[in-house]
Amino acid sequence: MIDGLDISILGPAFFAGLLVLASHVPLGQEVLKRGIIFIDLAIAQIAGFGVILATRLGFESHGWEVQLIAISSALLGAFGLSLLDKYKPQIQEALIGVSFILAATGSILLLANNPHGGEQLKELMVGQILWVTWAELIPLTAITGFILLMWFVFKLNQRMGFYLLFALAVTSSVQLIGVYLVFASLIIPALGSRNYVVKKSLVIAYIIGALGYGLGLLASSILDLPSGALIVWMITCIALLSGFFSTKEQHTT
Amino acid sequence: MLNKYFKRSIVLFLSLLFLSNPLYAGLKVFACEPEWASLANELGGEHLDIYTATTNQQDPHHIQARPSLVAKARQADLLVCTGAELEVGWLPLLLRKSGNPNIQAGQVGYFIATDHVSLLDQPVALDRSLGDVHAAGNPHVHLDPVRLQKIANKLSHTLTKLDPANSSDYEKKLELFTQNWQSMILQWTELTQPLKGKPIVVHHKNWIYLQQWLGLNQVAVLEPKPGIPPTSSHLSSLILGLEKSPAQVIVYANYQNNKAASWLSKKTGIPTLELAFSPAKDETLTHWFDQLLNQLLTLQE
Repeated sequence: MIDGLDISILGPAFFAGLLVLASHVPLGQEVLKRGIIFIDLAIAQIAGFGVILATRLGFESHGWEVQLIAISSALLGAFGLSLLDKYKPQIQEALIGVSFILAATGSILLLANNPHGGEQLKELMVGQILWVTWAELIPLTAITGFILLMWFVFKLNQRMGFYLLFALAVTSSVQLIGVYLVFASLIIPALGSRNYVVKKSLVIAYIIGALGYGLGLLASSILDLPSGALIVWMITCIALLSGFFSTKEQHTT
Repeated sequence: MLNKYFKRSIVLFLSLLFLSNPLYAGLKVFACEPEWASLANELGGEHLDIYTATTNQQDPHHIQARPSLVAKARQADLLVCTGAELEVGWLPLLLRKSGNPNIQAGQVGYFIATDHVSLLDQPVALDRSLGDVHAAGNPHVHLDPVRLQKIANKLSHTLTKLDPANSSDYEKKLELFTQNWQSMILQWTELTQPLKGKPIVVHHKNWIYLQQWLGLNQVAVLEPKPGIPPTSSHLSSLILGLEKSPAQVIVYANYQNNKAASWLSKKTGIPTLELAFSPAKDETLTHWFDQLLNQLLTLQE
């Protein structure tokens, strides 16, 4: 028997992956359409920057306060990015990149005298999917439900709505599964499914993501390798395969 | 008929296989760092089944989550870790995720080495501006052989508590270890006399126990705040200070990047020395520490 191939170890991680995919796949397709790939890095970094700034200003923050500060800063950042979208659409992607490095280096400057915040920043940015417990999935389920409701039922996918929902989604997911997996969940399924018609592409993207998480977790148990990194590679392999098949389909249909 | 015997023998074989596991597996030990795996091995030997979470090439502050890590923590009867916030980034999460009641804080199976010795570098007032300081004190106690002996005594005691059936054997093993370790301490003390008072530069403040034990004189720290790049004023004062009173060597741990150390070495002409911060896999504590001291001694020539 292989150590770690255990549903109670892999179960919460897989379920967390499915929840993240549920909200990130449609958002990712939008991100791809708008051509603003690095927005997730920027938002996550701005959330971290907000937390550090709050600590610097003297808030001894723990638990839900940190979350509140992180989400508020992410929403504020998202609001700013949506303004860029409105007034500087030609250079928006470049400005998103700039806001990412400004938030990242701003954190370093703020931390120069307070390296303890560095641990907080790290916690915010590098969640590890394997540490996820069932209890942590409750708030994530609520947030995911809210985002899906707003997105698909209330069609809140116009400019401002998109940015705010995006900020909410990324801030909650990055802490659980880390920046790499969030980036992968957003972009890769959307890439792998972009050649399909709209309705079908969403289903295909979900399948790519779910297979990637499932196989990635299994492989990480069997090979005893870090789970997050292996899932990223699995999602990519499966997206490549699906892209391979999709070109065929396009020719036949 | 033959078939029946065949089936029976298979059932017997399988049941033996399952039975044999709990009978011969012994105590399952989860060691956070290789030095504790090594120590547990000397004190428990064949009675223990030891898993090490990190290698000596890794910074024990940060490790990546692998499924096997949770599985091993779940099966463990005994957890042996450094503590003093060294593993604070991952051990609490791992313990929670493991759901193993034997190794939770407060249980006999939760052995934290730094709980059993006095710690250096305890901040008088917890000043956040001092860098990534550990509130509990400096955790790297395994670099002091005297403290290590104290930890060995306690760990052996814990083994006896968890597995009283083999207590006399644990006692014997501790005695053997103590004899050997004490005679090595005498040897090392004599051997390292010339190192006393020698000025050194360290990359991080993680050698403090070794410095104190050997009487080395730490004249500068390259990166006083781990994780935060040194400021230019710190570096220039460092170089200025080293010009006035030069050090013999710049010491850094094998899991650390040597960039900063090499930079300073080029600027000042002081040689760098990479030391193994922990024993390698299957290396004994004696062998590791002996090598480390010999590396330091070669600088004399």
